[in-house]
Amino acid sequence: MKNRIDAVGSLFLFLIGLGAAIGAIHLKVGSPTEPQPGFFPFLGGLSLIVFSTIIFLKGRTGQSQKKVVFGDVGRPALLLVVMVVLVGVLDCLGYVIGTFIASGLILRILNVKSWRVLLLTSLCLSIGTYILFDKLLGIELPVGILVRLGL
Amino acid sequence: MDFLVNLIQGFSVALSPWNLFFAAIGAVIGTAIGVLPGLGPPATVALLLPVTYKMDPASATIMLAGIFYGAMYGGSTTSILLNIPGEAASVVTCLDGYKMARQGRAGPALGISAIGSFVAGTISVFGMSLVAPSLASFALKFGPPEYFSLVLLGLMMAVYLSEESIVKGLAMAALGLLLGTVGIDPVHGATRFTFGVSRLLDGFDFVVVAMGLFGISEVLINLEAPEIRDVFKTSFKGLLPTREDWRRCWASVLRGSFLGFFIGVLPGGGAIISSFISYAVEKRISRHPEQFGKGAIEGVAAPEAANNAASTSSFIPLLTLGIPGNATIAMIFVALMIHGIRPGPLLLQEYPNLFWGVIASMYIGNIMLLALNLPLIGLWVRLLRVPYHFLAVVVVIICVIGAYSVKSAVFDVGTMVAFGVMGYLMRKGGFPPAPLILAMILGPILERSVQQSLISSGGNPSIFIEKPISAALLCVAAFLVFTPILKRLWGRRGLT
Repeated sequence: MKNRIDAVGSLFLFLIGLGAAIGAIHLKVGSPTEPQPGFFPFLGGLSLIVFSTIIFLKGRTGQSQKKVVFGDVGRPALLLVVMVVLVGVLDCLGYVIGTFIASGLILRILNVKSWRVLLLTSLCLSIGTYILFDKLLGIELPVGILVRLGL
Repeated sequence: MDFLVNLIQGFSVALSPWNLFFAAIGAVIGTAIGVLPGLGPPATVALLLPVTYKMDPASATIMLAGIFYGAMYGGSTTSILLNIPGEAASVVTCLDGYKMARQGRAGPALGISAIGSFVAGTISVFGMSLVAPSLASFALKFGPPEYFSLVLLGLMMAVYLSEESIVKGLAMAALGLLLGTVGIDPVHGATRFTFGVSRLLDGFDFVVVAMGLFGISEVLINLEAPEIRDVFKTSFKGLLPTREDWRRCWASVLRGSFLGFFIGVLPGGGAIISSFISYAVEKRISRHPEQFGKGAIEGVAAPEAANNAASTSSFIPLLTLGIPGNATIAMIFVALMIHGIRPGPLLLQEYPNLFWGVIASMYIGNIMLLALNLPLIGLWVRLLRVPYHFLAVVVVIICVIGAYSVKSAVFDVGTMVAFGVMGYLMRKGGFPPAPLILAMILGPILERSVQQSLISSGGNPSIFIEKPISAALLCVAAFLVFTPILKRLWGRRGLT
């Protein structure tokens, strides 16, 4: 296999296409005169199967010229972990505390070494964006445990 | 005469204090994100969608449009001073702009790019005022088969013009169409691909998907590489090009403006491709093609004019046909839909104030951008010294707010993170995200038009080729898909 990312990517797309086509059959495809809910997803699924097969074959024969270079994946991975944790705690901790902790961690991942800069930036960002979006623009953000303080 | 009356009506909207304020905000944000590498207009417009929820639709569109064309002005700054394009449409400006800066001519390079952008933007807005109403009234004659073919052409153009492989673009478009089917089927009311998750009944929200694909994935990509920004230190005295510079590049600016305008009008056409084509045209017709790539001012003037003209004229398919031609315009399409306004041929009749107000605001926005970009160039350069980590954390937080604000649900924040990872992997593998988001938006229109066409023709697919407009559009779409295959076949035959 000359292009591994194309193989993995095309396999993933193939499975989505196959799943969509099977799901569409369950929904009922109908006919061109009487298209049913599965008609359009069926066509989409078939198209995806065809295109993913071509990508796979092109990758196999080395026709795909894209060479994938991953840099330091540690930082993106850590950022993702922080975001997943934030999703988990956002409702209970609330926006201000959740984003304060998350921004502090993100800044740390991004090599901000000064604790003063880190804390100050996180505090300004979480409180500043809360005031801007929730109080001024009327976008309701989760209050979480701060509800006990009457916020 | 109607044109003038309408334009005056547009200026009365655009010159209201609030709309002037929002045009200025859009121009400033656009220039800033154009200057800063690592945050493009689609991501910025997606990030700012929640801000527009409570705004007047005309003001929201004026601001978002300002961001788009403002980014084209700002994008040249990093290309010229850092050899890093702030914007994909400014990639080609690096070739001669950076060389000019190295030769001590950063001032004229920045000056001609700002002035060229202003001239092109103004020409394009004028062209748009003339073309858009006629195109809108022509599009009123479109039935479902024509709409099907038009949407398909728009998608094929987006696929064709994506920098990566055509097949990958097609696969992304197919995936986008499938993602667009998640939720309740608009025709039959059946639930599709929700897997029992009630939050998916309304389908994936475009804002959430766009923030993940463009915002989060961009941060993830940028985090991979260490931040190196070597700002070239040079004097910005003498920003105005010399008489010799003008003599060399006035025609290039005009050519770039017209070329950019026409490429931008095409569904799927846009700033990136227009800048490359105009550079190639200039090099080909130049008496000194050997100077290109070594600091030729025409190599800065023409692509900068073209990308600005194209960014303005790419509003034409959106406002008149309801077809977003690129990812940023797709986000503006979403912004209008959030306000309950459906872009398309009826927009001009139903919302003339918005239509003409946005066009008039572009005239004003171009003047604002000229004033912002030339005297304040030092300020924009200083912005480059802001460390990326501050920008990254702000982007992440705004993405969280934006995703949460859609339905006040943490589920959407999780969905955004998932699409962020998907966008990151897609970019690494050379799968373009723009066809996916465009297909997701256009999918429901495509589905409705294909079903209506087939039902009206008794299931006969020849309806798409029996209607002349539809047939012509399908021919162009087929041409776009098959050109690379034919080229490859001819290439092979030539080799053997």
